[in-house]
Amino acid sequence: MTPSHPFPKSWKVLSGLFFLITASLVAGDLTGDEIIHRVTDLINLESSYARVQMKIGTSSGKIRTFVYDSWSKNRGEKNLIRYLEPRRARGQATLMLNHADDIWMFFPRTQRVRKLATHAKKQKMEGSDFSYEDMGGGDAFLNDFETRRLPDEKLEGRDCFTLELRRRSDSDASYSRLKMWVLQENFVPILIDYYDDKDSERLEKRLEMSDIQEIAGIPTAMTMLMRNLNDATSTEMIFLEVEHNPALEDAMFTERALKK
Amino acid sequence: MNPHRLLAALGLLAMTAAPALGQERVELFGYFESQFMGASIGGDFIQLFSNKLRVDLRSELSDNITFAANFDYIDYQGKTDWDILQFLPDSITANVPEQLRGFYRLAFEDRCFLDNAYLKLTLGAFDLTVGRQQISPGTGYAWNPTDLFNTKDLLDPTYEQPGHNALRLDAVLGRGLSLTALYSPGEHWKDSDRMMEMKGRLGHFDITLTAVEKTWRYHDYTRFDAAALNFTERPQRRRLLGGGTAGELLGLGIWAEYGYNWMSGGENFYELLAGADYTFDFQTYVMLEVYRNTQGRPDSIGVTLNDWMRYLAAEQRSITRDQMFLFVRHPLSDLVQGGVSLISSLSDGSLALVPTLTAGAWENVEITAYLNIYLGKEGTAYASDLGSGGMLRARVYF
Repeated sequence: MTPSHPFPKSWKVLSGLFFLITASLVAGDLTGDEIIHRVTDLINLESSYARVQMKIGTSSGKIRTFVYDSWSKNRGEKNLIRYLEPRRARGQATLMLNHADDIWMFFPRTQRVRKLATHAKKQKMEGSDFSYEDMGGGDAFLNDFETRRLPDEKLEGRDCFTLELRRRSDSDASYSRLKMWVLQENFVPILIDYYDDKDSERLEKRLEMSDIQEIAGIPTAMTMLMRNLNDATSTEMIFLEVEHNPALEDAMFTERALKK
Repeated sequence: MNPHRLLAALGLLAMTAAPALGQERVELFGYFESQFMGASIGGDFIQLFSNKLRVDLRSELSDNITFAANFDYIDYQGKTDWDILQFLPDSITANVPEQLRGFYRLAFEDRCFLDNAYLKLTLGAFDLTVGRQQISPGTGYAWNPTDLFNTKDLLDPTYEQPGHNALRLDAVLGRGLSLTALYSPGEHWKDSDRMMEMKGRLGHFDITLTAVEKTWRYHDYTRFDAAALNFTERPQRRRLLGGGTAGELLGLGIWAEYGYNWMSGGENFYELLAGADYTFDFQTYVMLEVYRNTQGRPDSIGVTLNDWMRYLAAEQRSITRDQMFLFVRHPLSDLVQGGVSLISSLSDGSLALVPTLTAGAWENVEITAYLNIYLGKEGTAYASDLGSGGMLRARVYF
């Protein structure tokens, strides 16, 4: 796809530097709430495109590989995922609007679009260790959880903010609690622990983010590894192409586009 | 298989594919499917094997023109000629005249066909699709009261449906509204099929209004037309007005679909479907649909040979009036899903159980198996004398 940049490249680099300098100056005084807002701002860009390779490691030791294109707009409010590989899933597409409160799936062999209720977010995405809820993104960290800052820790020699996110009483999120390690230098979360829906002491999944690259001045984790500790399975997502803030039409996020 | 039909289909595929093959980006994909079906009937176990090859072509001819087609070829071995009367209750078959008995047969013949072969032209807010295409209206899983183009197999409701020759216009009207107008030509304008569908959203609910006019080719299965070498056709004009919705209430996914049918030569009737589903935290998925078809009988008393034959020929969607479809699915491992469907006629109390297994052991291989166990009394919609059995299917995508 053709990138469309609203600002010259040099502006993006400058704004990225400004962001990093400001971030490091104020890091010490930030509350948990402020840090999670920074994290959300960083991962929820106005729009984005990515081609992702998803490698699912099964309990029997096999690896299944999927490739999909993903578009997002309005800071994660609109999402479209379209599968390219394997052949079995080719053409299947999922449209998520209103921060995944509205979900439609398209099945190319039957040409049928099915609307799913939000409980479907709990289902595993193509049998992976990511649920649709994990993929929905948006403002879930802000809306579904209350954040508390814990004492800072070092992770792999890098200074991290440590946050605890506890599920709000009115939220239907699938996790009772999250623990998150966020790089102080750029607000990229590099480790998230997901705790069981009922038992807030039982660690269910662990998400590790690595290979952080500056793309258009924005630090971006190019690899994500989700380990499911219950099933002893894992799923790795590798971002093959990433484009931040491309110009995306609203028409891309409609049932018509879903069937294309 | 008739070689002329095979050649004609291949020729048509070649003709339709030719423009696409001239382009740089032609996608070629499809699948091979091998299937075994068996049924225990009258102390015998009959078997049917089939092999299906589907080849899809797709090309973006330009920014706003898409070509897509698929060619299907199926061959059958084993018991390819089924005596339908063998599956029906004695009370129904007792009155069939001896000279007609040989005509109640279901023949599985090798065939090739196109489900899709169309050009799609996109101009701004309009899509114009011309040619053979799949038409899939409705929100229901097992039944679709607003779909007069397809009838689903209750044992395998998600299997792909055949294509229809049609001219279709999809228009985006703004504010989440869209309009579909479809014309499927018959021999004459007056016996052609027409459909209009308006879609919109209300809160988190999708709302659809549908109007269809279609020639409905009923048959009288008690009379034989010697000239046509088939049972006597009793075509009627069927006009449907209906709609559907899908959304969420109290955490449950819910949907409904309704169609009222005006028949030019028979009794009017309606079909109504309501469904709900839920996924538990432990990944178990549960779905329930209830369905009413006032064309069906209120109980098993008074069911006729025509009711059975029209049901088996997909001329009507159910024999009895009220039905239920309950489906439960759970991942047995990260590669295997187990499920069970419980299909019941609420009108006559009969029941069928369909345990299902789907496995994706390899990336492009899918294995599906189910058993169909009929538990109803003789004469009921899901009577045990329908012949319990099963199906095993392996599909390889390329």
